[in-house]
Parts: sequence; structure tokens; C-alpha cells
Amino acid sequence: MTEWLKWTAPAAVVMTMAAPACATQYMSVGEAQKSAFPSATNFTEVQPGRVWKAQAGERVVGYFYYDHVVGKHLLIDYAVAVEADGRVRKVEILNYRESYGGEVQQSGWLQQFAGKTNSSELKVNGDIRNISGATLSSTHVTEGVKKVLAYHASHFR
Amino acid sequence: MQATSANIRRARPLLGTFVDIDVDDVDEWHAEGAIEAAFAAVSDVHRLMSFHEADSDVSRLNRGASSAAVSVHPWTYEVLEMAADMNRRSAGAFDIGIAPTLQQLGQLPCDGEAQAMSTSCIAMADAIELLGDNRVRFTHASVKVDLGGIAKGFAVDRAIDALRRHGARSALVNAGGDLSAFGPETRTIHIRDPRSPDRLICEVDVSNQALASTGRRFDPFHSAAAAGSAVIEPTTRTPAHAVHGATVRASCCMIADALTKIVMIAGVEAAAPLAHYRASAIFVSADGDVRATSDWQGVRHNAS
Repeated sequence: MTEWLKWTAPAAVVMTMAAPACATQYMSVGEAQKSAFPSATNFTEVQPGRVWKAQAGERVVGYFYYDHVVGKHLLIDYAVAVEADGRVRKVEILNYRESYGGEVQQSGWLQQFAGKTNSSELKVNGDIRNISGATLSSTHVTEGVKKVLAYHASHFR
Repeated sequence: MQATSANIRRARPLLGTFVDIDVDDVDEWHAEGAIEAAFAAVSDVHRLMSFHEADSDVSRLNRGASSAAVSVHPWTYEVLEMAADMNRRSAGAFDIGIAPTLQQLGQLPCDGEAQAMSTSCIAMADAIELLGDNRVRFTHASVKVDLGGIAKGFAVDRAIDALRRHGARSALVNAGGDLSAFGPETRTIHIRDPRSPDRLICEVDVSNQALASTGRRFDPFHSAAAAGSAVIEPTTRTPAHAVHGATVRASCCMIADALTKIVMIAGVEAAAPLAHYRASAIFVSADGDVRATSDWQGVRHNAS
């Protein structure tokens, strides 16, 4: 029969594990473009750093959007690949960061990440690769995708 | 494409959270295909078991299973069978029939008729008939199911299956804290303190098993403080309050996911179902005590 014991975390662990901030780079913009449109031969920037037109030769195969969701404690870079007919082909998270510590209160802490795709930010507590706990909501990314699609419909359809 | 042994990690917004798939020790060409198959499996589970999507098995059951038997996908049936077993083993603490209560509390959308019938309270064991052959019938018109307490874990298990089938030798799938890993590597998982999300309560090593956590909800966009629980006590039909948060380790993620709900509701009483499913657990009770099962990793060293 299972019995319960009182758990006391080792003091050293608590010390080093307070206020976790972590960042994960999943893909670069270039990798995400290639993965979303493997047949594309070139990506033309329609809006610098934000929107690309994917073409296989002369044929437009779709559009690639790179966008960010900025929340109070969270900054996520994501990409939406839209088919030539306007349907979503793929939504990928490119960079994911989270922090619940005091540092996000300081202005500039979040800004240092904005739009960056280099891997230097992985130094932010890079030893934390996987966290389990209360579920994080992806609602803000979902809303971001809707905005991207509304933009796409009004500009490229 | 050159065949190099690599680590590939991808994340997509699915199941209302972020699903993160990390594949090691597989050549790049195969990893991309394996990851696509794993995300596809998660999408399939989402499509079948979402309460919100009108075409899902869950919505079809909630619309029609009280008037006639409804045929569902074998995956949905498998989850319903496990839910029924969990319900029996936990003396009713695990209950997928609490959807009307979640609707009342505003955690699930209402369809207009929800308020009218929400006072009725039928034990899940009597309300849902699993007829075999993937057919399901509800015994009463007011029965509505929500698989939110178990489907995420099942989705993780299906993603793991897909990765194995496509030749991955080592991988981890993490759906917003419900995770499972296989392969020769041991992976360290940090568990967030449910009382204050800016702290970690412990770290555990996971190898060829699953880990799931449930806490009071917190919305990192609005507040770092934990909000009310999304876990409902079937007996009182109010949010569970005895436990701040729970983490369960088990052989598969569906079992781990469902058991976290039982620990949230039953606290120390969850010992029997945990033992039955050969699972271990750690939880933070409302009075601040942290308790772990005697087989929780490291507990012998830290017990006081």
C-alpha cells in the first residue's frame, strides 16, 4: 500500500531553482520557411522581416508570416504558413520564452529578446529544458494566428 | 540530405497549450517525418475529443448519445474505458461527466440548455454505458462529458507511439506539462511550485515513463498568482480546494494525467488508485504541506 511522506526540498535546490526564466529556440526563420514550403525555390520579402511570398519558380505556393505575441510574462515568436488559397498550412513556434521572476518587471528585459533569433538567449537558465506544472495557455498565439489571417485576407486575397 | 545524428525540437499550439516534441539520436531526414506524424496524432486526438469542436466525438456524444447509441473512434472509446476505470478506482473522484458544472462556472462554453439541467447530478458509472464495438450510450438527457482531464495525456501517448513507429530512438513529448519520454536517455524535468509559479518545487529524472501535473489555473499573461482550480469535486460540484497542485509519474501519460485530477480531489485518499496503476505522486496541500508517495524519487533522502 502506498504511504505518504512529508517532502522537504533540499535547501540548495530551492536556492538555485527560484525564479526560473527559460528560453527555447525551436527554429530559425529560414528553417521554418523551408520546412513549411519544401517545394519553394525562393522567398521574397513582402514586408521586411514579417511577411514573405514563397514561390516555386514563378508559381506562388504560399505566404510565410513571422510574428510575436507579447504578454506580460511571455514572449513568443511564431510563424504562420498560409497556402496560396488562404488556408493555414502550419503554425510553428520559433522561439519560446517564459519567466515569472522579478526580472520581467524591469523594462528592457523582454525587449532584449524581441525579434531575435540567435541562440545566445538560451543562456537564460539553459539547464531548464522541460517544466511541468500548471498548464500554460496558448490562447494568445491562437489569437495572433487569427490576426495574421485577417491581415492576409485583406492584403493578398 | 546528410544523415547526421541530431537533436530536433519543435513546438506547436495544440490542445489549448504548447506541444513540444524533442527528438534525439535520429538522422535529420527521419526526424522531420517522425515529428510531423507525432503532431498529426496530437491533432487527431484534439479533433476527436475537443469539447469545443462541433464535429468531435465528444460533441456528437453530448448531442446524441442520450437518445441513441453513438459510434466513436477506437481512440475515443479507449479513453472512455480508462475514464470509467479511473472513476471506479477513485470512488467517483474522477468524473468526465462534470461538463455541466464547468459550463456553469464559465470554464466551458454553454449551449443554451446548460443552465436548465445543470442541477441534476448523476454518478458517471450509471450515466455512461460503454456497449462494446466502440458504441456509447448515455442513460439520461442531461449527461455531458468532457475529456479535458485525460485526453491531453492520451494525446502525448499517441505522439510517443508515432515517434517510435517512425524510427525515433529517443524522444520527449511535453504538452504543457503533461509529458512522456522514451529512449536510453534520462531527462530532468523541473516541477513548478503550484503556489508560486516563479519557483520550482523539485526536479525529477524521467526515463521511459510519463509525468503529468495539474494545478490551480494561472494565466501568465494577466497574473503570476494562481487562480481558481479547473478541477471540480464531483460530490460538491465546486472547484477542488484541498490541494494546490499535484504531479504524478506513471507508465503512460493518460494514466498520469487522470491521476493528477484524483490527487487534486482526494489528496492522501488517492493512495489506492495510485498504487493500483503503479504510479507515484507529489502534491502541495492547501495548508502548504508537500507530500510525496514513499516511492517518489528522492523522497527517502528528503523525508522528515
